[in-house]
Amino acid sequence: MDILLESPKSEVQSPMSSIQSQGVPGTPVLRLEGVARDFTDGRVVRRVLKETTLDILPGEMTVLAGPSGSGKTTLLTIMGLVLKPSAGRIIVGGEDVTGFSEDRLASLRRQHYGFVFQQAALIPALDVLDNVLVGTAIQGGRVSARTREKALELLSGLGLKDYLSSRPQQLSTGQQQRAGIARALVSDPILLLCDEPTSALDVESGRIVLDTLKRLSRDPRRGVVLVTHDPRVFPYADRLLKMEDGAIVYDTRSAPTGGN
Amino acid sequence: MLLHDRSTTAGAVLGVVAIVFLVGQQLAVMFGLFTLMSALVDNSGADIWILSQNSNNTSTAGDLPARYVDRLAGLADIEWAQPVIYSGAQLKLPSGRSQSVQIVGTTRPALEGGPWRMAAGSSDVLLEYDGATVDKLDLADLGNPKVGQVVEVNGKRIRIAGYTEGSRAFGPTVVFVNSTKAREITGISADRCTNILVKLKPGVDIRRVRAEIRELLPKASVLTVSELAWNIRVYNFTNTGIGSSFGFSTIIGILVGVVIITLTMYTNVLNRQRDFAVLRALGARRRDVFAIILFQALTIGAIGLLIGFFLLAGFLFGVKGSRLPANLPLWLPPAHALLTFLLCFLGSVLALRRALKIEPASAFR
Ligand SMILES: Nc1ncnc2c1ncn2[C@@H]1O[C@H](COP(=O)(O)OP(=O)(O)O)[C@@H](O)[C@H]1O
Ligand SMILES: [Mg+2]
Repeated sequence: MDILLESPKSEVQSPMSSIQSQGVPGTPVLRLEGVARDFTDGRVVRRVLKETTLDILPGEMTVLAGPSGSGKTTLLTIMGLVLKPSAGRIIVGGEDVTGFSEDRLASLRRQHYGFVFQQAALIPALDVLDNVLVGTAIQGGRVSARTREKALELLSGLGLKDYLSSRPQQLSTGQQQRAGIARALVSDPILLLCDEPTSALDVESGRIVLDTLKRLSRDPRRGVVLVTHDPRVFPYADRLLKMEDGAIVYDTRSAPTGGN
Repeated sequence: MLLHDRSTTAGAVLGVVAIVFLVGQQLAVMFGLFTLMSALVDNSGADIWILSQNSNNTSTAGDLPARYVDRLAGLADIEWAQPVIYSGAQLKLPSGRSQSVQIVGTTRPALEGGPWRMAAGSSDVLLEYDGATVDKLDLADLGNPKVGQVVEVNGKRIRIAGYTEGSRAFGPTVVFVNSTKAREITGISADRCTNILVKLKPGVDIRRVRAEIRELLPKASVLTVSELAWNIRVYNFTNTGIGSSFGFSTIIGILVGVVIITLTMYTNVLNRQRDFAVLRALGARRRDVFAIILFQALTIGAIGLLIGFFLLAGFLFGVKGSRLPANLPLWLPPAHALLTFLLCFLGSVLALRRALKIEPASAFR
């Protein structure tokens, strides 16, 4: 059954029923098979991401660490269906989406993915509540009362109840990032992808954000991937992957005796 | 959804207001001038005008035998036919300088083709030998003559006997007199005139009568009032600077507006690249980005139209009854609105092209 292609109309009923039924711990929400990515610098083709095979499991926090330039963002954006791999296959919820059209991938992202960016990347022209709802409205659909309620719930859960109609600029960077997390969660994604979400934050705000993400990763239906170059994030990892030069060189899963 | 922040929206709206107001104002004045150009013809009360041979508008017309009027008497469908004299002349101002005027000599006692709107009293003052009327709006040009004052035109004395109100035309100041006085002023002899005005009986087919008159008067030019009015406008539009001047300023208005819209929309997309990338990452398809930009352009267009039309209405109200002619035909505002939306779309094309190129992956860079 092709649940991933369901229109927003049927989303009302139970959009992720099939994915949820696969969201049993141990069954990957996302699988990359031999995925690689080349970039061309002038005439030189560089393999920025070497062939990588990887499962992302629900109910755990996967931390992807590595020095700047090692290919973390490249890998994350491939997971996020935002960047096309030069080789390999991407399987989401059991379905191979590698050959999907741009539009179908966009719809997939809208329905099943949550993104948290390095800087919150809120839209300055919209207030906080609209920023959280923007993803649901982005394909021209109406925002249902249920979604609105969910957004309010998330925002107050993240301590932003009093900022619903504030502009992002009026918020601290930590608050902005929490609003960004609310935006990522409002569609109840099966996969939450975060690229250095704490690097722009002070220690205390960073800790709040990390605690929040950690809590979210305990949901057995959802996988969380967090990219970082900050070793202070490592303790939050259920699974730690280390990247160097476009390859995963270390995975706590295959080396269960521990990292550093 | 508006991604514009307020200042860029305001900038683009300003562009639209520029288009709507500048272009609308230019067009209103142009149409006002059009009305003025053919005012003497449109308000003559006649259906058909007879001009000298080979002339298709009053500016190029010579004179005609006045006895043509008698020849028309045989046509049953004609209610009346009257000779009229139109001619340029020089009016002597109190300062001693002279002022170009347009003499309109209407035939007594009917005074057809005479003034159509008086400020006070009746046009019957033209029945008197030296009676003349001038328009209130032109008084300053004529040295503010009082009613009863005698002035000289081409060295002949006329007496200002009344003021008209809005009985004006394009070009030199109109002075209405009777045809006897007009002949005295212009030297046109009693057996000649410059035009013959013809009024048809109600319900008569104007084209048929025009054909009959053409047959009857092969050495004259016979035109319906609407044909003549059109010819006069075309002539003046192309033979004076009006066409190029108004065309130029209208095009400038449009260009300024499009450039402002293009720049603000484009700059906005450039400044908001990250926002668009984020939206794409969150699941916006290219067509959704297209819709956002289009919606933005149309919103800007709508706000700009509202303000622009408001200003335009103010302008029209302000110049009403003044020497600056301005009027908008009913079809113009909708056409203008359509054009404005089209230009808004045009102005957003560049922004659109840029926005559609933004890759979702760039949200992570
Ligand atoms: N669009 C691109 N075009 C060319 N090179 C790129 C592009 N994106 C990333 N790279 C290169 O790929 C390498 C890995 O980048 P990235 O995935 O952003 O690393 P990280 O997130 O670990 O810092 C870098 O050397 C970077 O310059
Ligand atoms: Mg990175």
